[in-house]
Amino acid sequence: MRWTIRIRVVYQGFFLILFLWLLGRLAAGDPRAFPFSAFQHGDPLSAIAVVLASGTLPGALIWALVLIALTLVFGRVFCGWICPLGTLQQLSSWLFSPRSRRESLQVNRYRRWYALKSYILAALLVGALAGTVQTGLLDPLSLTARGLASGVWPVLPGGRPVPGGWLAAVLLLAVVVASRWIPRLFCRGLCPLGALLGVFSRFAVFRIHRASDACNSCKLCAFACQGADEPLGNHRVSECHVCLNCLPGCPEDAMSYGALPPLPAPPARPDLSRRYLFGSMLGAFAVAPLLRATGGGREAAKPFLLRPPGALAEPEFLQRCVKCSLCQQACPTGALQPAIAQAGVEGFWTPVLVPRRGWCEFACVRCGEVCPTAAITRLLPARKTGYDGRTPVSIGTAFVDRGRCLPWAMNTPCIVCEEMCPTDPKAIWFEVADEPGRDGARRRLQRPRVDAAKCVGCGICENKCPVGEEAAIRITSVGETRDPLNRLLAGGSAP
Amino acid sequence: MSDPYRAHITRREAVLRLSSTALAAAAVGGGAIAFHDRRTVSAAAAPIPDWRVAPAEGSPAAAAARGPDPAGNVRRALAALGGMERYVRRGEVVLIKPNIGWDRLPEQAANTDPQVVAELVRLCIAAGARNVVVTDISCNDPRRCFARSGIAAAASAAGAEVVASASLHLVPASLAGLSAGLEVAQELLRADRVINVPVVKHHSLSKVTLGMKNWLGVQGKGRNRLHQDINRALAELCATFRPTLTVVDATRVLVANGPVGGSLSDVRQVGAVAVGTDPVLCDAWGAALLGHVPANLPFIAEAERGGLGRADLALVRELGDA
Repeated sequence: MRWTIRIRVVYQGFFLILFLWLLGRLAAGDPRAFPFSAFQHGDPLSAIAVVLASGTLPGALIWALVLIALTLVFGRVFCGWICPLGTLQQLSSWLFSPRSRRESLQVNRYRRWYALKSYILAALLVGALAGTVQTGLLDPLSLTARGLASGVWPVLPGGRPVPGGWLAAVLLLAVVVASRWIPRLFCRGLCPLGALLGVFSRFAVFRIHRASDACNSCKLCAFACQGADEPLGNHRVSECHVCLNCLPGCPEDAMSYGALPPLPAPPARPDLSRRYLFGSMLGAFAVAPLLRATGGGREAAKPFLLRPPGALAEPEFLQRCVKCSLCQQACPTGALQPAIAQAGVEGFWTPVLVPRRGWCEFACVRCGEVCPTAAITRLLPARKTGYDGRTPVSIGTAFVDRGRCLPWAMNTPCIVCEEMCPTDPKAIWFEVADEPGRDGARRRLQRPRVDAAKCVGCGICENKCPVGEEAAIRITSVGETRDPLNRLLAGGSAP
Repeated sequence: MSDPYRAHITRREAVLRLSSTALAAAAVGGGAIAFHDRRTVSAAAAPIPDWRVAPAEGSPAAAAARGPDPAGNVRRALAALGGMERYVRRGEVVLIKPNIGWDRLPEQAANTDPQVVAELVRLCIAAGARNVVVTDISCNDPRRCFARSGIAAAASAAGAEVVASASLHLVPASLAGLSAGLEVAQELLRADRVINVPVVKHHSLSKVTLGMKNWLGVQGKGRNRLHQDINRALAELCATFRPTLTVVDATRVLVANGPVGGSLSDVRQVGAVAVGTDPVLCDAWGAALLGHVPANLPFIAEAERGGLGRADLALVRELGDA
């Protein structure tokens, strides 16, 4: 193992541990201001998709330029040196798959279907242009964080359940395990971020070069090639992960990595069929409106689609959310869950607040702080709570179910919802009644009523309601600040 | 196998390759700077224009004409205010807002009489209007309302552009008070002049529904919230939307089961039309037809208190029968 590879492995380990550590600190509720969304901010796939869908590049996503610049100079070093999903796959293929040299050569050969990732990229970008951002389904950063937040953290000590998270976990597991048969199967054939970086790496200054006079065509360079980019023949620079395994692999020292090496003539072109490319773009163009019409956007806003505080109105939210799960991981009460059906097909895996799992802590603004694409805007606690003198930010309204509520239905005293209510004055107040019980004795009851003008829909009443399974007080999205059309009360000041 | 690699790279090729890299970097960087936005999203609310025109010297704030011909009533009442030329100038775009809220026939008196609307369209065109738009956001299925009210056919025949409810563009508007957050038809905001043409009807909550209540029909989803405090809401609408003219159609008056009606026994043939520049006075005149003392209706009293007009029926010039 030459020193270049040692350095790469150190980098890979560092970035994988950093990725896991940030997710861990986020889940632990570490109050220090770590750059929790640093990886996601640097993601050019999110940046380009959000620009195409919304017409703006929100805030810190401009860091994606760093990664693009890095790729323009060094090639796809992100894939080979930084990406946590790439590292996990490489680890899995190294651990579980001792191969003979012949087998290794076989599995690391380029295959035509690896062009699939480019068709996926084209379809996702055209979909974004048509208004629906679905890059998060396959973006390696989203896929990894989501799989870990939904499948690994819930089973760690102190973890909170994520019902409906199993699919995200299984997808991550499948990607990692598939590497046992074909190393980095996901990177080579499916990853839209890799395909995007491949476009930029065609301009790369630093490249792999094979000195023709020294090479005796022994093929040992392809033995551990991660990208299946054929360093031996006409090197495919847009497939290359810059893992540099080919350098020490060569017994003749014919392989090198340096600035501006001579290019092979003719230069390798991406193995794309124009017909398929056009087809995938046309397909996405047709499917995007279908996704919207059959379950997305404002039309699909279901009563139990509670979005995190500060979330943009549904159409704008869906133009930005990359389903990265950071808000879910950041939520201190475990209230944010990946949506399965609440947000329609288009909003699959976007964050939704489930009050029976947790509530929105009154002065907490963490989800907005970590959202990499400003789908959830950054709120100051004083703004969210209304302590700045304006109307507090609301995500919904509580409704009392008088058929289940203990004081209303069972003549049994209970004041838990009112007790928990965080607003000032409390949104829940009491109607006092002296009602006869079954034995005829009168009992003083405090029956909860909701002041919809004060309620912010935080859901702590529903969460703490002692009536099991379905609570006797429940939140629906009406009255949410983000949608001026989803209102209950007339008037009121705009936030 | 011939080797695709050459041994050297020329200076010229190095410069070309570095420039293409730099060009790619510049393209991406330039795009990022062009699209970069540190702010969060916010939709700008459109302001609501004031469509009023100073009335002629010595002309009354409102005039009412009676007679069997609704079109004649419109002409006579308007003539008392100085004629349509006084209010609509050459080349202007006029929006006429009748009540087309219900899937009812003209005889059922739930919508504005089509002849009144058609006559207003003709007068506007004669005064030189570039375009006359007739529209409403109906409560029942708009296609049925526009057709069965007779307004779509009569207004198009008179030369108006009838805009179906579904074709209106609703935009956020700077509405105050109870209407805050509602959307308004952009076609209204773009008109140079606006004529509000309500029909006199009974209403279960506000007692009567007239010009102020007619403004609900330019607002989008959520306008039903205004019924939570209807009197305050109507006065606010009156202060927000300042029409060029209010034309109160009392050709037929729905005296009970409003504002939808249905039974012809609830319809009284009155055969009157009032035209005015004072929206409060116009509503007061209509309320009196239903037997109310205008000042006793809270929304009229509140609008008058707000200085939006006078509810003194003596200010209406009664032109009598034709």
